[in-house]
Amino acid sequence: MATFRLQGSRVLAVDMTGDAVKAKNGSMVAYDGQMAFKKMSGGGEGIRGMVTRRVTGEQMTVMEVKGHGTCWFADRATEINLVELRGEKLYVEAGNLLCTDAGLRTGTSFTGLRGATQGNGLFTTTVEGTGQAAIVSDGPAVVLRVSRQYPLTVDPGAYIAHQGDVRQSFQSGVTFRTFMGEGGGEAFQIRFEGDGLVYVQPSERTTIAGDV
Amino acid sequence: MPFRQINSKMVEATVTPGAKIFSQRGAMLAYRGDVSFTPNLQGGQGGLASMIGRRVAGEAAPLMTVEVHQGPHGRAGTPTGTVLFGHGGHHIQVIELSGDTLYVEADRLLAFDGTLQQGTMFMGSQGGVMGMVRGQVTGQGLFTTTLKGHGAVAVMAHGGVIEVPITPQRPVHVDPQAYVAHHGDVRNKLSTALGWRDMVGRGSGEAFQLELSGSGTVYVQASEEKL
Repeated sequence: MATFRLQGSRVLAVDMTGDAVKAKNGSMVAYDGQMAFKKMSGGGEGIRGMVTRRVTGEQMTVMEVKGHGTCWFADRATEINLVELRGEKLYVEAGNLLCTDAGLRTGTSFTGLRGATQGNGLFTTTVEGTGQAAIVSDGPAVVLRVSRQYPLTVDPGAYIAHQGDVRQSFQSGVTFRTFMGEGGGEAFQIRFEGDGLVYVQPSERTTIAGDV
Repeated sequence: MPFRQINSKMVEATVTPGAKIFSQRGAMLAYRGDVSFTPNLQGGQGGLASMIGRRVAGEAAPLMTVEVHQGPHGRAGTPTGTVLFGHGGHHIQVIELSGDTLYVEADRLLAFDGTLQQGTMFMGSQGGVMGMVRGQVTGQGLFTTTLKGHGAVAVMAHGGVIEVPITPQRPVHVDPQAYVAHHGDVRNKLSTALGWRDMVGRGSGEAFQLELSGSGTVYVQASEEKL
């Protein structure tokens, strides 16, 4: 299996011995040894995956990198976080997924209204199986624990990914004041309940929520 | 060594009397001591001929000379100065040279030791036609700046920088947009991984790479954006 390691906080080094990884298109910055790059499409494999991709608009262009040696990946100098999956499912915004072990299955999942407020569409990418994944964040991400007693509420623009047995619901703080233009700028939130981990970045994407 | 890394985006240079530092114009953030900054019309050293060479090559980055004045009390009272350099919030990497040659684009140079010999190199002389294509692909032109000797160089990058060693057994391929600089006994050429699929628009986005072989070090930035 390919070995993922961070070189600094913004460069991912993957050591490969004939195995393969899936990475965001164009994210390779350097490699040594022998590597081959092949374009794939995200959203899961096969016909079903292709149909889902068309319908959901959760299109990410992914390439398969296969070879012997070390391949370095980076994306616009954003911070990289390593996630170890042991049979669980990781939910991540397609734009934040940098690289996964080729053995991990990727798919799409319906996110409901949350996606709409993020401006990311109604669907999100899922990564499932056993292996490593690398996600990017604007600034160093924090991993927050959600447990039965302690639910967590996150700004949609700062949310990047979550894993575990977690239910998410959409919360709106839209009041009369919001419409009068006196809102607090925090009109929408995502609430996580259950047992799992949520990755939050120290930056806020521009979302519809931010304008309300 | 005159450069001390303050944080990832700032370096401090110590200037002693009689010694010179060249820096990109406008890169001074703060200084202590009796330091003077003079625009360097010759764009470094090497005199007029070399300046014209650089103008033609398009590698004439506006430089300034940083020096300290002799103190009023003669040599005994001569101070050393310290200067903070940084530019545009870019990441800064200090590279130490011990007799070898550093290849770097002029606009990435933040500051360097005045003892280093400056020059330009025609990229086509390495790697032939592909060496010339390289400039077109990377948008960096046909020439690159060389610095040779013993001393330190501070270069700018977008995001962090990693050092990748090049050994005769292991050539390194670098994305032309992520390439920052290299030094050592290294040959570089542009290689393509273009297949028929890429021609019909199904490329992986990794069509061209810079292939560096020999022995030395290449510096790669954590981003595919230019400065």
